[in-house]
Amino acid sequence: MKRKPKKKNDNKLAALLLFPSIFLILLLVAYPMVSNLQISFFEQSINPNLDPTFIGFENYKEILTDGVFLRSLGITFLYTFLTVVGSTVVGLAVAILFNRPFKFRKISRSLIIASYVAPSISLVFAWKYMFNNNYGIINYVTVDVLHLFDQAPLWFDRPGSSFVLVVIFAIWRYFPYAFISFLAILQTIDNTLYEAAEIDGASAWEKFKVVTLPAIMPVLIIVVTLRAIWMFYMFEDVYLLTNQVNTLGIYLYETAFAFNDLGKAASISVILFIILFAVIILMRKRVNADGNG
Amino acid sequence: MLMAMASSRKDKRTRKIFFYLGLAIVLIVSLFPFFIMLMTSLKNSAEAIAQVPTLLPKQWTLEHYVDIFNPVLFPYITYFNNSLIVSLMVAAISVLFSIFGAYALSKLKFFGRSTINSSFYIVYMFSGLLLVVPLFKIISSLNLYDTRTALVITLIVQTLPAAIYMLKSYFDTIPDDLEEAAMMDGLNRIQIIFYIIIPLSISGIISVFVYAFMIAWNDFLFASIFLSSSENFTLPIGLNTLFSTPDYVWGRMMAASIVTALPVVIMYGITERYIKGGATEGGVKG
Repeated sequence: MKRKPKKKNDNKLAALLLFPSIFLILLLVAYPMVSNLQISFFEQSINPNLDPTFIGFENYKEILTDGVFLRSLGITFLYTFLTVVGSTVVGLAVAILFNRPFKFRKISRSLIIASYVAPSISLVFAWKYMFNNNYGIINYVTVDVLHLFDQAPLWFDRPGSSFVLVVIFAIWRYFPYAFISFLAILQTIDNTLYEAAEIDGASAWEKFKVVTLPAIMPVLIIVVTLRAIWMFYMFEDVYLLTNQVNTLGIYLYETAFAFNDLGKAASISVILFIILFAVIILMRKRVNADGNG
Repeated sequence: MLMAMASSRKDKRTRKIFFYLGLAIVLIVSLFPFFIMLMTSLKNSAEAIAQVPTLLPKQWTLEHYVDIFNPVLFPYITYFNNSLIVSLMVAAISVLFSIFGAYALSKLKFFGRSTINSSFYIVYMFSGLLLVVPLFKIISSLNLYDTRTALVITLIVQTLPAAIYMLKSYFDTIPDDLEEAAMMDGLNRIQIIFYIIIPLSISGIISVFVYAFMIAWNDFLFASIFLSSSENFTLPIGLNTLFSTPDYVWGRMMAASIVTALPVVIMYGITERYIKGGATEGGVKG
């Protein structure tokens, strides 16, 4: 009886219900995107009293010929690749380990996600202390007890060892995300599939390849894509841990707020947008081609 | 036959040993930094910088916990309150807006629904980092620079897409018949949201609340851009200033780290059974 008027009202009601979300996203995501593009053509400092001057593509030219940017791009790609592969593989391995009933399973699962939900600042304090050059427990164990290094690596003061440190930190911090995602999907796999494979004489690796991998593929794609995007734009973990690893996030932040060059920072953002879109479009094509829509 | 049985039993036992060994390694690696945090916060300052580090304190002390709550030494309570206010506001507003948005996307048929749906998903993948320059200008021109309001509104936008996505998948599981029956009884759409949809998806709403609270509580980037005076600082940037002082005390920093991490870790611990993983749930941006 009341069904007919309902259809009519949907447009209006939907607009009303979605208004707060859409308004905020337009104001604080869509408009800033356009604004970014506009600012990128200007020479503009952070001081609001200084008028911006139009300089065309000058900012872009400057960035794309800047060795610091290109190096930073390389560092960021390597950082993203290593942390995505590391956190995904570790997360999957731990999920497989957890995919059986055992005592303390629930509490163990809660404990593992602690590193993932705690704020970076707390974790970074602990890591800075553990890896301290003079009295950190890591150097004590690796140098004085196990003699892995002759001399304590200066974890925070050399680009090479700092890079290793931020990668290990990211894998440690983000594998729980892959872990919970994979554990959820692993629990839906029918056990008879494994039993059938076993009767066929499949080895553990073959069982993984034939049964597990196809079943977790949709989740694997999502986990890898999202993690890759987030690691590519990582700022605070690296910024708080060390000033020796110049990823794009840090390059962008410092251009804007340390060197007060908003125009150049905006054009870095635009370049990163373009990379993001390229990745999304590429991923979409892959996902569609795999038939996982 | 007997020997085969015995060996398979032995096999089972070795497997079990390996399993618990693996579990122990995973737990130790995951929790070791937290253990160090806790133990250092309970050591006195001399022991914290001893050349030969100790695992457990030789002398247990609570002085660092007393110190961080002493406003003369360090404005921890101010930072904590700012973080709490900002995070509660972000979580509450995100929950409200995302209930409305998710209901529309899940239950209503309207023009542009699928476009809006997929644009939310794209926004979810965006990082706030890419928008810092224009956001800084917008916040300044709205005269919101150095206010907690600036942080609240920008963080709501960070949480909304995932919040809507999470709730929509909850609402999708509520059968339409239920709503139609309620409409027959004379309830309008708004009443249906409050009397039927919300009570049925309480666990989803709790996870959205926890998620949004966590994003706000952990945020460092926006706070570092929008806040400049110490009385407005939230915990992440407030604590970071501890490193700028030359005479930082490790025990105090570790005590502060623990108390800062506790609210979100406890919230997740309690609501953990609602977290099922997957595409967006519990996804931390940044």
